[in-house]
Amino acid sequence: MSATFLTTLLILLPVAGAIAIWLLPLSKYASGSLAVLVSLIEVGFWIEQASRFDFHRSGLQMSEQANWFGDLGITYHVGVYGFSVWLVGLTVVAMAACIGYGFWVGRDRPRAYFALMLLLTGATVGVFEAQDLIVFYAFFEAMLIPLYVLIGVWGGAKRMEATVKFVIYTMAGSLLMLAAIVVYGLHAGTFDLVDGPTSASRWLFLGFMVAFAIKAPLFPFHGWLPDSYREAPPEVTAVLSGVIAKAGLYGMLRIAIPLFPGPVNFYRPYVLGLAAIALVYGSLLAFRAPDFRGVVAYSSLAQSGLIAMGLFAGPSLGRDGAVLQMIAHGLVSTSLFLVAGIIERRTTTGEFALLGGMARGRPVLSTLLMTLGVISLAVPGSANFAGEFLILAGVFQRAWWWAATGAGAIVLAAMYMLRLISAVLHEARGTTVADEAMDVRPGELALLAPLVAGLILLSAWPAAVSHHSFVGNWPKQPSGTTLIP
Amino acid sequence: MPVLEREMSGPGTTWYVALAAFLFGIGALGVLIRRNPLIVLLSLELMLNGGNLALIAFSRHFANGAGQIFGLAVMAVAASEVCVGLGLVVAINRRKLALDVDRLSELRG
Amino acid sequence: MTYGAWICLVSPLVATIVILLGGTTLTRRAAAWIATSSVFVSFGGAVTAFLGVHGAHVAQSPSCLSFGLHCNAQGELTTAWTWLASGHFKFGLELLVDPLSTVMMLIVSGVGGLIVLYSVGYMDGDNEERRYFAYIALFVFSMLMLVEGGNLLLLLVGWGLVGLSSYLLIGFWHERPSAVQAAKKAFVMNAFGDATMALGLFVLIAHTQSLSFGALGGVSGSTANWVALGLLGGAAAKSAQIPLQTWLPDAMEGPTPVSALIHAATMVTAGVYLIARTHVVFEQARTIELIAAGTGALTLLVAGLIALVQTDIKRVIAYSTMSQIGYMFLGAGVGAYANGMFHLMTHAFFKALLFMTAGLAIHALAGEQDIRKMRGLGRVMPITKWCFLAGALALVGIPPFSGFFSKDSIVAATGALGTWYGWVFWLCGIVGALLTGLYTFRLWFLVFPGEPSAFVREHHHRHGRWGEGPWTMLLPVAVLAVLATVGGWLQWAPLWHPFTDWLHYAAATAEGAEPSSTLEYATSAATVIAGLAGIAIAWAIYSERSVAIPKLPALQRVLENKFYFDAVYDRLFYAPAVAIAALLRTEVEEPVILQGGTDLGQTALDAGGIARRIQTGILRTYVFFIAAGAAALVLAFLIAK
Repeated sequence: MSATFLTTLLILLPVAGAIAIWLLPLSKYASGSLAVLVSLIEVGFWIEQASRFDFHRSGLQMSEQANWFGDLGITYHVGVYGFSVWLVGLTVVAMAACIGYGFWVGRDRPRAYFALMLLLTGATVGVFEAQDLIVFYAFFEAMLIPLYVLIGVWGGAKRMEATVKFVIYTMAGSLLMLAAIVVYGLHAGTFDLVDGPTSASRWLFLGFMVAFAIKAPLFPFHGWLPDSYREAPPEVTAVLSGVIAKAGLYGMLRIAIPLFPGPVNFYRPYVLGLAAIALVYGSLLAFRAPDFRGVVAYSSLAQSGLIAMGLFAGPSLGRDGAVLQMIAHGLVSTSLFLVAGIIERRTTTGEFALLGGMARGRPVLSTLLMTLGVISLAVPGSANFAGEFLILAGVFQRAWWWAATGAGAIVLAAMYMLRLISAVLHEARGTTVADEAMDVRPGELALLAPLVAGLILLSAWPAAVSHHSFVGNWPKQPSGTTLIP
Repeated sequence: MPVLEREMSGPGTTWYVALAAFLFGIGALGVLIRRNPLIVLLSLELMLNGGNLALIAFSRHFANGAGQIFGLAVMAVAASEVCVGLGLVVAINRRKLALDVDRLSELRG
Repeated sequence: MTYGAWICLVSPLVATIVILLGGTTLTRRAAAWIATSSVFVSFGGAVTAFLGVHGAHVAQSPSCLSFGLHCNAQGELTTAWTWLASGHFKFGLELLVDPLSTVMMLIVSGVGGLIVLYSVGYMDGDNEERRYFAYIALFVFSMLMLVEGGNLLLLLVGWGLVGLSSYLLIGFWHERPSAVQAAKKAFVMNAFGDATMALGLFVLIAHTQSLSFGALGGVSGSTANWVALGLLGGAAAKSAQIPLQTWLPDAMEGPTPVSALIHAATMVTAGVYLIARTHVVFEQARTIELIAAGTGALTLLVAGLIALVQTDIKRVIAYSTMSQIGYMFLGAGVGAYANGMFHLMTHAFFKALLFMTAGLAIHALAGEQDIRKMRGLGRVMPITKWCFLAGALALVGIPPFSGFFSKDSIVAATGALGTWYGWVFWLCGIVGALLTGLYTFRLWFLVFPGEPSAFVREHHHRHGRWGEGPWTMLLPVAVLAVLATVGGWLQWAPLWHPFTDWLHYAAATAEGAEPSSTLEYATSAATVIAGLAGIAIAWAIYSERSVAIPKLPALQRVLENKFYFDAVYDRLFYAPAVAIAALLRTEVEEPVILQGGTDLGQTALDAGGIARRIQTGILRTYVFFIAAGAAALVLAFLIAK
């Protein structure tokens, strides 16, 4: 594999693009075009990376390592596994669509906006590629900065409240994680994720888990979620739920589970329990949420619970299903929030009480929403179904009641998603739906079509992700346990 | 750590340290009691010099030059502090404010 | 033979995609004909596959020249690619082409093709014709996926996709709240069935590490019970059997061809196919299989009773569908899978026919569906009248119409069990035949004979060249009328049984479900007499009016409320779910989760308010605190030392 430079390039390119857009005195149109161009080149590089990646070889690939703080054993170490390739792909594709959406609606203060969106891309790709705890932490926090500004500046009426809540929640988790990282690294003598030994410390495990559970989010750490998802601009919400939330789940997958085998075993029932609660609780609240974004937001909570269930179920089924579900749900929730944005632009609202009857005369919108809706409720045959099936089959092998809970939640998913579809598209026309409210325009369709096409391809061949994420077991840790009290 | 005690002419280290403590105490009292910022600055200088004296005395006592270097650093800090402090005093005076630290209490929480 | 199966499967999908992507560049007519021809291409593929399987039979045993002989060919599995995989689990996108699946392919694509052709006329002029034809082609694809799927996962995929297309088509007229509600109800109940089926599959995966049909043979005891129970849940939901039946009558909100195709001929009978396909595991789980049979027996009676009081022409036929599927469940449940499948086939013919003739009537009466207004329709619509009669006689099971051959052998098979419950089932079958005659001919006498009512005279419109509809509608009706009449001649169990033999490899009749000829003849006589008695009662009450309608207000109310299933489910499941969700929202989410963060912030602010009093702004206090702190530290060090 000679393509190791791609790994770093994928992080650096959007950051460089961000700096260029921020520094150059470009017009609104030029800065938007440049940002879209950079994000498309990024997608191109990812395709190159994926095509050069050997999915049949186990272990880290395309890794780069350089000394950073030699005294402390911190190195700039990046690389990809099979599952990281997919998550990086999700990130670059979803970000390209969202940057395109920002360009389409013409966000004001374009240089700052596009620079921040690109910065967010770079940081998120960094999270999925980092192989050193400190590097991981740096990128994990770096995601926060652009998000903070994006919600706080371009958000809705109650944006400051939402921003502050979001930042404080995430910071609280991150600081616990930082403490855990420092203790782990000092005991292990290295912060490297590949060379680092496993640990038996329950406290450290909990430190990591809280951070990831807030980011994912899992019940009861989702206090930031409803406000942020409602107040952020739609494309930022799309990124939040489609991509950023996956960073938390990825943390469980890459760090919490392989590094702490003992504590994972000990806490497994509790994590599964929390995940199951998140699943049912999210589904029930989604069923009563009064607006479009509320439904998708709580359904994201439910899906995070389901994915966490798969990750902690243990054997290959649940784990592969979880990665598949991360990608599928990432694509579907990104698209759904963009559709929410499209609808809000036409009707000024996402309240179900004021919507309805949009199907009449708007075939593209109704086809899009219907397709996304049924994929999201995991109709058999869809990529989400494949993911959920694997997850529940995996979790069934732990105990039947987890799977039964999950299956019940799938019925609830059908209920809330159909409610959303009907409330927007069907029955009498809502008071805010004007006759002249347009169907989805070609520009908007061009943003959504690749996402939907990706979902349909993934539905035709879910094994692409589920069977090309792990070769053998979890990312292998060297044996030997550091016993940290 | 082996302590190398060298022959010293004049009074022993104890006296120097006692003097340093005395200077520091006077300075501290001055800061606490006086209200004129100018005098407060003067008292601060006294405290710093008390500290310096102790540093040098111990440096001599342990035959370790580091203390003297610290002393130089403290003097540099003290000098810059006085610059700022005096600048503030001048600024207060120009604004025709009372030169009384008790009345300069805008920092109250 | 396998390429035929692939053509059969893919052709309607291609039509869906073309119509979807074509959008308004296609004319409405073009969309309609693309969908129709794709389903007929499918039928061609199915015929190829069928001939292939038959050819394989012949090749394997030279004596197997005609259908009548005992053949033993195995099915062929053809894999396109690995659809889903994880570790050593691999679920291919594979089709199984065997006697059972080819029969289903023929029924689905054949009857489907006729019904899609019918909808070309029926949907003519609707605003969203293109959408309709995209959906219906999607349905045919899904149904073929269901019957051709070569492993249980693909079967589940087809299972879910038919549910989806059924949802889309029931709610096709999406501006009607009742249609939207009905569509959602159907989908959610079916999702429940999908969930129990998935759970059954999880049990299977946990025990056999596989989802191939062959794996079903590898379980026994309580495992088999759980797997079978899961599958039965799915089957009951899809086939509208008690207790998951309430969605089917509401599903009549969809366009009539949809009712004919999905809610009569194909999708709702999928439960029977499922039991036949997975009969190995049901035979390991006799209790569950008998529960299936009992469910069928109960449903056929309950649905038959409810049908007696319905006034909507489509709902009468819908309840009759439930009741007939009850027969199929009964047959499959006692182990007579081939009989169940045979009834599935004849039922597809005559029930599609009944729905389509009802559609002709509805079409001619500008959308009216109330049978109390329709008296005397036969005078103005003779073709419709005679075709309906053929369907009705087939439904009641009067020889030589098709229902006679298929229904009687099911009832006979229950008697062959020889146990007490076998005879209970047998009795249910006979009583069911009486009810069938009664409700079917109640419909007939109310709608067709006699002088046209004022409503009919006023609202009747002539359509097409023959006055009853365009050829696209009449041709399928005619073809199905012929099939409903002669379709049953394929097999008369006591004398010749090529259908059963054909299915022998895929779903051999279980031991003890093969009745003696005497029992067959006796049962035939009994059911025909019961059916005729039903017709006679209907004639006396509704035609001659020599007998008054029995006045049993309590019973009437129970029946009109459909045994209160809807109300009970509403109170038992829907209302609590809504209440719990609302409770979680007001008691947990808002006060604890959302307010909790704010409260924490407020607490921090309050603490700051207290702490700030130390910050006096007076220099000397600060200095004092510093000095005091330093002194305290020194003291602490001295003490600690």
